[in-house]
Amino acid sequence: MAYIAVNSTGNFVALKINADGVDYDSNVSAAFVAGNANVMTVPALQEVTLNASPGTFRWQQLDNASELVVTTPSTNSVAVTLVMDDTTFFSNVAATPALVDIVNNKTKVYFRLGWQGLSSGDRFIQGKGYLTALAPTVSPGSPVWTTPITIEVDGEYTRGNVA
Amino acid sequence: MAVRDTLLANLSTSLSSTNVSTSSELPFTSAGVELYNKNMKKLYLDVDKNARTELFSTLDNNDVWQQEIIVNGYLTVDAKNEPTDIQTVVDTVVNSRLSVANCYLRECSVTNEYSDDRNTYTFEFRFLTI
Repeated sequence: MAYIAVNSTGNFVALKINADGVDYDSNVSAAFVAGNANVMTVPALQEVTLNASPGTFRWQQLDNASELVVTTPSTNSVAVTLVMDDTTFFSNVAATPALVDIVNNKTKVYFRLGWQGLSSGDRFIQGKGYLTALAPTVSPGSPVWTTPITIEVDGEYTRGNVA
Repeated sequence: MAVRDTLLANLSTSLSSTNVSTSSELPFTSAGVELYNKNMKKLYLDVDKNARTELFSTLDNNDVWQQEIIVNGYLTVDAKNEPTDIQTVVDTVVNSRLSVANCYLRECSVTNEYSDDRNTYTFEFRFLTI
């Protein structure tokens, strides 16, 4: 069994987004081709949770001792918490707006999450969706801004390996 | 500028009208006796003790660190004949923590201990900054 450790420099979890306004729906990978200046790397992630939850519909029959079930469409989302970075939060990366503007303007984003980094050959999962659940918080005992962000995924995830 | 220097500068002024004064010397031991026991009614401050602790851990080494600075102060008085304004002195020393800027936590705790006829107040200042 090989576990997925993310504690060394080359294996850090990486989340990249592209919200440059181009329609990549037919080929999300095109949003992340090498050298694309519109790709933003979201820094200082504290926690990442990838949710992929197919819905289910259960019913009972009088001729069966157990419930039956069929699946319904999945609810997919990626939830992260991060330490707010002044640059990515308030400044655009080329044609990709600042994170706060993406949320404000409800801009569609394409995302790619690298399980152990996003170097050549690394596994990733990607998709498209919208940034939601922005809730920056700070307190006297924790005097640095942090925030959760959720990517509500539109459609399915796709997975692959970085070329 | 060390936190000790800031505290000393503040205390040398704020204690000037009391029965206690400050010393810029470190509270070292001379001939087996701590200076604050030898020179009663003089407040001594130790050097800054620094520690770096992690405020937020992140997945990409962009961790947020905080600096913790601890300074200890010592003041010995005659237990049989304490200065009449000792409570004012203690309050003044505690309040001197507010002279240190750019910290999001400024604490000071006071303990005392009797030894023979001496009463030694120990102040522990604790400051946190990002």
